[in-house]
Amino acid sequence: MNAEFRKASTAQSVRFINVGKSYGNVRAVSDVNIAIEPGQFVTLLGPSGCGKSTTLNMIAGLEMPTEGQILIGDRDVTTVKPADRDIAMVFQSYALYPHLTLYENIAFPMRARRRRTPETEVDNKVRNAARMLGLEAMLSRFPREISGGQRQRVALGRAMVRTPTVYLLDEPLSNLDQQLRVQMRSELKDLHQRLGATMLYVTHDQSEAMTLSDLIVVMSAGRIEQVGTPRELYDRPANLFVARFLGEPGMNILDGERVADRLVGAGFSLPLSTTVVASEKRLSVGLRPEDIEDDPSNDAPIKGTVRTVEFLGSRSLVRIDVGDALVSAFLPATVELVAGQAVGLRPADTNKTRFFDTQSGLAVEETVK
Amino acid sequence: MKTGTRTWLVLGCLLAALVALGPIVWAFSTSLKPTNRIFQVPPELIPSVSTLDHYARLISEGVHWAFLNSGLYAVMAVLVALTLGTVAGYSLARYPIPGKQLVLVLFVGAMAVPGFAVLLPTQLLFVNMGLYNTYIALPLLYAGHILPFAVWVTRSHFSTIPRELEQAAQIDGYSRFEAVWKVVLPGAKPALLAAATFGFLHSWNDYVTATTMVDTPGLRTLPVALIFFQGFHGRDWGALMAGVIIATIPPVVMFLLFRKYLIGGFADGSVKG
Repeated sequence: MNAEFRKASTAQSVRFINVGKSYGNVRAVSDVNIAIEPGQFVTLLGPSGCGKSTTLNMIAGLEMPTEGQILIGDRDVTTVKPADRDIAMVFQSYALYPHLTLYENIAFPMRARRRRTPETEVDNKVRNAARMLGLEAMLSRFPREISGGQRQRVALGRAMVRTPTVYLLDEPLSNLDQQLRVQMRSELKDLHQRLGATMLYVTHDQSEAMTLSDLIVVMSAGRIEQVGTPRELYDRPANLFVARFLGEPGMNILDGERVADRLVGAGFSLPLSTTVVASEKRLSVGLRPEDIEDDPSNDAPIKGTVRTVEFLGSRSLVRIDVGDALVSAFLPATVELVAGQAVGLRPADTNKTRFFDTQSGLAVEETVK
Repeated sequence: MKTGTRTWLVLGCLLAALVALGPIVWAFSTSLKPTNRIFQVPPELIPSVSTLDHYARLISEGVHWAFLNSGLYAVMAVLVALTLGTVAGYSLARYPIPGKQLVLVLFVGAMAVPGFAVLLPTQLLFVNMGLYNTYIALPLLYAGHILPFAVWVTRSHFSTIPRELEQAAQIDGYSRFEAVWKVVLPGAKPALLAAATFGFLHSWNDYVTATTMVDTPGLRTLPVALIFFQGFHGRDWGALMAGVIIATIPPVVMFLLFRKYLIGGFADGSVKG
């Protein structure tokens, strides 16, 4: 790899301080506070319309916050024009310039009046980026003449030649087919490690977020639900939204009432964790599908009826009606179950059982926020 | 396709070609005939004796200045209309302008108003403003005629260009104006060429506005200059036909060069946006 793309000494921190954005009376984003360290790969994750792209656009300068401050490094860029922020962005649609060749597309940022680069340097950087991304043989082609994956690489190349302070990536893999997406995902991770750049990534795909990120910011309805490492979010979700949103399938939630040191509900009775700090009577218990195992004994703490069984090879995804709830569990394929069969279950590890206030949805343990 | 149907289609096309090209071919033939052979019987399509006298006469009468005037007026009108039309089209496509729909309806409505209906009031207005019989009278009016079409076509085309391209250019270090100049306008080339071709042809072919708004021989356009060859005591058919041939060349060349964009541009305006 060429030295020009080795560890980016230009990588900067990004800070959001009470950032909000409204469109007339519609509140798109509220109270966003995020601190991103230089060189971190941070993902804004959430369902469509949760405000993650708006948040990214505010860092890019394509949208102006209606309140709060955005800092890149020590510089307040809240009202700075996109061209003056020294950032690079990869769009979902790649946004390649259709009338320019791939070479001209990659060279485009270096030919801007305000950061005019000598042509020999432009040529060097374009060819180095092309080599790194495997595009050398097609630099004279136009974007319409290459595949989706190649377009994606060109968009990355256009970002790379700038050596920007921050990379912004807005669902850059969502237009690719599954196989290419997985391949590009690992290339992106590799690229991040090699560049050492600060990267902000927007996606609604949790597997992308989990595999790529140092830090994930989960958003919903314009607000941050939780910020943490993938493991923190997965193991200790701060609320029911994050618990249900992360994981495929998400965390199983069963509502019940506190009876002495147990949580009891329709079809289950589980011991309360000693870490529960709330005194509310109505609580919900959360169990990951892989943290449930079958319990053939009569006093199984969870009892239900099998609805469906999906055979997945070494294990099966079993959906079980427990009271009014539908519980998903990954059980060993050796446990033979059929629809309609009564089944007993138990937590495989009680340390992994989470508890939430049913009404507020917040975790009632000492969680990482 | 059946042979019978194909035969009818070919015959239909030949007939259409004859109707469209016949007069031009005949005018070209006449323009090369000596005056005393123009009405000979039987007529000749390919003259047995040919001459360029009629073309020489046009030059001696100063018709080449009218040709230049027509060209100059048309180019000026196209430049003004395209500049304003592009700005208006872009603004209507990209900015949240209050009453945007009404503005668009006004532009499209303006195209529906027959030029003759406003000819006399415009002449009076131009007289009062001191623009009558000046070099800028016709370019100004032609620009006004072309502008609604330019706005309509460019707006439709700009609407189809993803906003992200401009945003990407802005992030790449360009100002909004530079982003539009370097990314959006090259993408809108078909629409711009369509509007330019339409505007040029409209201005070049105009007779009525030109004969109403300028009077001085030095300001005349080609169609107005040629009408004088109809004369009061008989028509100079040879010179007239030579003028017709000269007048036909620029539109034909433009159409041949830009027909792809011309047809594309009309289609854009009619189905997109």
